[in-house]
Amino acid sequence: MTNLGMLATWFPEAASTHAAQLDGPFMQVMMAALVVLVVFVGLAIAFVMQFKREGQFPLGSVTLRTSLILRVLWVVAAIGMGLLAAGAGFGVFVDRTEAPFASGTIIVTAAQGDWDFAYPNGHVADTLHVATGTPVRLLMGSKDVMHSLSIPAFRLDEGVAPGRLAETWVEPTVPGTYDLKSNIYSGEGFAELRRAVVVHEPADYDAWLAAVSDIFAGRTLEEVGELLYNTQGCAVCHTTNGAALVGPSFLNLYGHEFETESGETIVANDAYIKESILTPNVSVIKGFQPVMTPFAGILDDKKIEAITAFLKTLSDRGGAPEGAVDETAVDTPVTTETQQEGN
Amino acid sequence: MNAPVSNPADMSNPFTAGSQDSWFHTMDHDRISTLFVCWTLGAFLLGALLSLWLTLKSITGEAGDVGSLFQIITYHRLVLVFLFLVPAIPSILGYRMLPQLIGADEFAFPALSRCSLRFYVVGLGLLILSILVGPVATGWTLPTPLSLGANPGFGFMALGLFFLAASWFVTGLNFIVTVHYRRGTDVDFFSMPLMAWGLYLGAYQLAFAGIMFAIVVMYLAGGQWTGRGLFGEGTDPLLWQNYFWFAMRPAAFFALIPAAGVISAVVERISRKEVTGYRLVVGSMIALLGLGLTTWGVHLAGWGQDAQVTFAFSILALLGVIPVALIAYCWLATIYQGANHLPAPSLFTMGFFLMAGITVLMELFLRSPGLGSYLANTMFASAQMDYLIWGALMSALLAGLHTWYPEVTGRSYNASYALFGGFLYLAGLNLALVPHLIMGTRGVAADMMVLEAGSSTLPGISLVGWSIAVLGLLAILGNLGRAVTDGEPAATD
Repeated sequence: MTNLGMLATWFPEAASTHAAQLDGPFMQVMMAALVVLVVFVGLAIAFVMQFKREGQFPLGSVTLRTSLILRVLWVVAAIGMGLLAAGAGFGVFVDRTEAPFASGTIIVTAAQGDWDFAYPNGHVADTLHVATGTPVRLLMGSKDVMHSLSIPAFRLDEGVAPGRLAETWVEPTVPGTYDLKSNIYSGEGFAELRRAVVVHEPADYDAWLAAVSDIFAGRTLEEVGELLYNTQGCAVCHTTNGAALVGPSFLNLYGHEFETESGETIVANDAYIKESILTPNVSVIKGFQPVMTPFAGILDDKKIEAITAFLKTLSDRGGAPEGAVDETAVDTPVTTETQQEGN
Repeated sequence: MNAPVSNPADMSNPFTAGSQDSWFHTMDHDRISTLFVCWTLGAFLLGALLSLWLTLKSITGEAGDVGSLFQIITYHRLVLVFLFLVPAIPSILGYRMLPQLIGADEFAFPALSRCSLRFYVVGLGLLILSILVGPVATGWTLPTPLSLGANPGFGFMALGLFFLAASWFVTGLNFIVTVHYRRGTDVDFFSMPLMAWGLYLGAYQLAFAGIMFAIVVMYLAGGQWTGRGLFGEGTDPLLWQNYFWFAMRPAAFFALIPAAGVISAVVERISRKEVTGYRLVVGSMIALLGLGLTTWGVHLAGWGQDAQVTFAFSILALLGVIPVALIAYCWLATIYQGANHLPAPSLFTMGFFLMAGITVLMELFLRSPGLGSYLANTMFASAQMDYLIWGALMSALLAGLHTWYPEVTGRSYNASYALFGGFLYLAGLNLALVPHLIMGTRGVAADMMVLEAGSSTLPGISLVGWSIAVLGLLAILGNLGRAVTDGEPAATD
């Protein structure tokens, strides 16, 4: 009976374990309902046609007492229909309430015109990527109004209400790209909620996640630096417009000379920047407190290099090669240096 | 129209004495019913036009601006549910038939009959005004917090829905009091015709849903206006959904109870027999009324409601198969060995069996905990609404109209035209809605065929079906309308 779902060729592809378990019960209820409909309406039409008596028998001339057995059978059949419907896919209904132990979690955030899918390693994508044979838990919340996460290929539709946390899980079975959307109208940007869910083979999924999580792919060193500046919390204390907050601004920092708290004069070159990221509170520029979080073990050399490259784009002395930034070059007026560069 | 003049006994009533000649001031229940025929069918045609427009859009594939599309989606459901599905049978057949069914001359509160009609017209007017001021695009369940940010038409729309709900309440109250205090001396509760029972139980739904919805929709409008209160910013969005369905589940989905009352009377008439198992039918209808009032939570299944709560409501809702099966059994037993005649009412009764049968069987899918969670927000659910509104309710109404038309107007309609139109209507409607049902199992969101049907094959079939259905309906209503002036004098039955 489990293959009964194959009869319904109009169904979307069943791409998860739950979808495969729901199609069979759906067709069972469908078949039973068709039988009930045909029997009930068929009997009614047959009786009307068979006992058609124009102009005979005044009201109440024929009475009928039906047998008790017939009545009981009829009601038992109705209860059977109710139980069939209640049982259809009940296993899936219960199963969906709790994800298997040690499933990965993807945090789904719905907003008007936007889905965010946050993966366990922190990567946030606008499409849902999952792997075959790997159960994954979906924790869902909404930023603004009611939404629903609907994935027909998984036979899944979960309401996502603001202020509530919804939870479900899926175990995809067939690789491919399927529809993902909201079934509840949410106002502006509703059309942009039509996204995709991509089911990978497990190896492809790992490769995909590594690739999209690799921030250097498809970006220049400076762009990576800017991305890190925005995502690692630098922007909280360091501006790029010259205003000093908790820390010095990054505008015109690279290549310039500063006095430290201990009275030494340092040049903000590659070595100093690396030191200031890894052990920031050793030599602090005068006027600032030694309060920065050390990033040793968080940012590797390549990322520090990227941040340095980003700082160079913010500085009027960033364009010069490192060797050129010596004691004599420090006092050179800006205009002269740019003219030299041009030559 | 030569509507019968009200009972002369009413002349002694100071409230009705001055209203004998005026259609505007009339409190005569026959005239109220006739006016309701015009208003309700007019509103239905408005809803039908909006439905056709939506289907047409999905063929051309130009969804256009999603916001304006949802204005149409919202209003076509609001019009069909609030102006047709809930009030149609009580206001058209109820106002006409109830007093004579229970041996009364007039309703207990004739002024309330008039009040109900006026509230209905005011509600319709405000709803149309809200379209002109700035249509609301939230979907017909007006979910918070989306509806809190809806545009200025919302206030007018909420006020319109308030008056419509008040109209139901007034009708319900009038019916309940009339059945209790105006029954003829020889009519006791268990000798009332089943149609009176259906209208009486339906009146409880109207009174309950009417007062409930009128209050909460004003709270919602207040929340929209001030951003605070019960449904204001930051409150649980499921709270409004609970209140909405608490009112609308009995009134909208269990509008089948008064329809079942009408069909019971028609079945008795076409079979020339009293219905088999009178008390069984009454008991089943009372059971359905109870289930209608207690199962609103099934409509929150796809809205983030806890699984345990959904399960409890689902099982309660599925208990409804027992009373439904008993009523169906009694109808079949009545037709069996009956002296069946009257082709047109028979056709519409069979149509009701088919359409209400499909509606109830679709309920099995939607209330099944496993299948329902996937189907609850899809076109499967909206197709069920259409089977209920266009199919079951309309068939019951047409069966009733064709049964009592000769004795009400004194003229007979052309039975062949009625049969022709009826076949077209039923066939066209199924052709229109089966594609909806299939799209629902594919996960297409409720009423959103335009946005995501994929290909135009199924919407195309559906459009052909809608066109046939509307042609059939126009043939049926045109036939009845023509007979008012041109029909042969009715033969006494």
